[in-house]
Amino acid sequence: MRKLVVALALGALAVGAHAQETIKIGVITDRVGVSRPYSEPNTEGVVFGANEINQKGGILGRKIELLIEDDQSRPDISAALARKLVDQGVVFIISVSLSPAAQQQQTVTMEAKTPQMTPTNSADYLTTQLPNPYFWQTGPLGSIQIATLLSHAKSKNFKRVALITDNSELGQAIAKAFKGTLEKAGIQIVAEEVVARGATTAMPQMQKLRAANPEALFLAGVLTAENVLVFRAYKELGVKFPIHSSYNLSVPVYETVAKGLIDGITFVDAYDPDKPEVKAFEAAFRKATGKDPQNMHGYGYDGIMLVADAIRRAGSTDKEKIREAMQKTNYAGVMGAKGMKYSFPDGKRAGFDPNGMVVRVYEKDKQGRVVHVGQK
Amino acid sequence: MQDFLELAVSATASGCIYGLIALAYLLMIRPTGIINFAVGEWAMVAAFGGHLLLSRWEWTYALGMAAVVAFMMLVGWTTERVAVRPLVERGAPILAPILALLGVLVITREAISVSFPPDPMPVPFPFGIGRLEFAGIGGSYQTFFIIAVTLAVFIGAWLFFEKTLWGKSFEAVALNRRAAALMGINLSRVTALSFAGGAGAAGMAGLLVSPNISAHYLMGVPLAIQGFTALVIGGVGRVEGALLGGLLLAFAEQLTARYAPIPSGYTQGVPLLFLMIFLLARPTGLLKARA
Repeated sequence: MRKLVVALALGALAVGAHAQETIKIGVITDRVGVSRPYSEPNTEGVVFGANEINQKGGILGRKIELLIEDDQSRPDISAALARKLVDQGVVFIISVSLSPAAQQQQTVTMEAKTPQMTPTNSADYLTTQLPNPYFWQTGPLGSIQIATLLSHAKSKNFKRVALITDNSELGQAIAKAFKGTLEKAGIQIVAEEVVARGATTAMPQMQKLRAANPEALFLAGVLTAENVLVFRAYKELGVKFPIHSSYNLSVPVYETVAKGLIDGITFVDAYDPDKPEVKAFEAAFRKATGKDPQNMHGYGYDGIMLVADAIRRAGSTDKEKIREAMQKTNYAGVMGAKGMKYSFPDGKRAGFDPNGMVVRVYEKDKQGRVVHVGQK
Repeated sequence: MQDFLELAVSATASGCIYGLIALAYLLMIRPTGIINFAVGEWAMVAAFGGHLLLSRWEWTYALGMAAVVAFMMLVGWTTERVAVRPLVERGAPILAPILALLGVLVITREAISVSFPPDPMPVPFPFGIGRLEFAGIGGSYQTFFIIAVTLAVFIGAWLFFEKTLWGKSFEAVALNRRAAALMGINLSRVTALSFAGGAGAAGMAGLLVSPNISAHYLMGVPLAIQGFTALVIGGVGRVEGALLGGLLLAFAEQLTARYAPIPSGYTQGVPLLFLMIFLLARPTGLLKARA
């Protein structure tokens, strides 16, 4: 296992400053497993945010020190890493590997009364299965994604739609959320298809969908290669029904690996490139790292900012005080539609505003502007 | 009917990919008895090679393809030299090189994983995106390209084993190592060549499939499993068996996904079912080696 401890005490050498103790924040990421394409930019966002905070003097006059661990998205080792971080004295853990791994970490944070949050994970069960008051999730839930897509398509008044996903854990969870919302809206699901990880074609699935002739296809899959197979079969068979996709298509990788296949596909996103906060974030990120940021960096950045905000309002590094402050969060970040704020009303611990997602459409091979906001 | 023909073309292309991976296993297992699960990772390495040469450096396709396959043969040859031969020469049991090759699998994957960005990488199509149709049979350019190249590879392999003295020496080693050695056949050269050939076949599969699924550091394991299943179905005795096994597997997969009245998620169990049935009922596969 690789361990990377990023000491961010940049200003600690300042003349005359007393050797101040840092505030330790744990990050559990995935550097080698299936979630690496998402976890790496998330973590870069966290690191960038922590650097920015430290350059402005830190929190409560102390610098942030990130302790980064890699659980490979594996539930069987993630809890041990959470324990390790707790033993090293972290006051908060940010989880950016897969949901099952984050779920397993909760067994530790609940028992050790250590605040933990995930800025990206969208599996609804993370905050509903365990009564863990020390855990929050701020990624857009699957149920919010489908409701936003449906509200955008309201004018079309769908009666019969189809659903396609992959056999990844998150793809299944999002498909389940999609299905629940569609059924509640009285929309008939005429076909449900699954493309397995490692498939070499999605032709049989697309043929079945074509035969079922739905008014639209909802895509809940999160595996890039398998989603590209779906688009390829769609294009090759010349199918005409529109595709509405989960937030997975908001990741810019599709602009290169699905070239020529994605024009006109609608997708939900939690990222509005025209939002002032996003423009400021992108400019600062580019300047600091020389890399082009994407929405995945934004999730991580918001994660560390939410944690810093809670510690600041708690006025101390006492974990119980931080927990109370976190629950009272009311914070506008990079992610979400213009004016959206993260909050945890009524004791809920899922903090993404149900009206905070936007709908965008691919124009040729590029992610287009926001065409719809929220669920209204 | 239209659907069926379309699906038949797509299943044939998938079957060809599985067949090439099965051939890679077979080329190594026949003369040495060593099963090398790193073939999937070799396919992945070739896919990344395709990305580098064809997508990033924009070589012409034929040249890039030749370079990638040649490089893969070198990889196979080196692997045999470094990971297999020292063990065999010291008289280690057959399990030792198999485990060493699992180590090669992990090292290969991690090396690629740290050398490239985490996102899937595009690999271009030799003839672009387009559709070819004749006599009711339709498919993408790439589908037909996969089928044509695979057929050429299998015909080449068949001719090699049936018609050349070199091929006969491989067969002789497969039948009886000791007797072959006593007849003056250079065992280590046969082994090295079989690994080079195996890596070449696996690399070809990776290069052919990657325009459709992109080059990705986790693409190897599914390919290794599909190819292994094809090998079990076809049998390790004859080259044609690998292709037959691949085609049968792909048709079973895609026809059940299309026509079986079961939820789509369950069709993933079909290859596994095939694997179990063949291992239990006909562990030698469909085609037996000639005596």
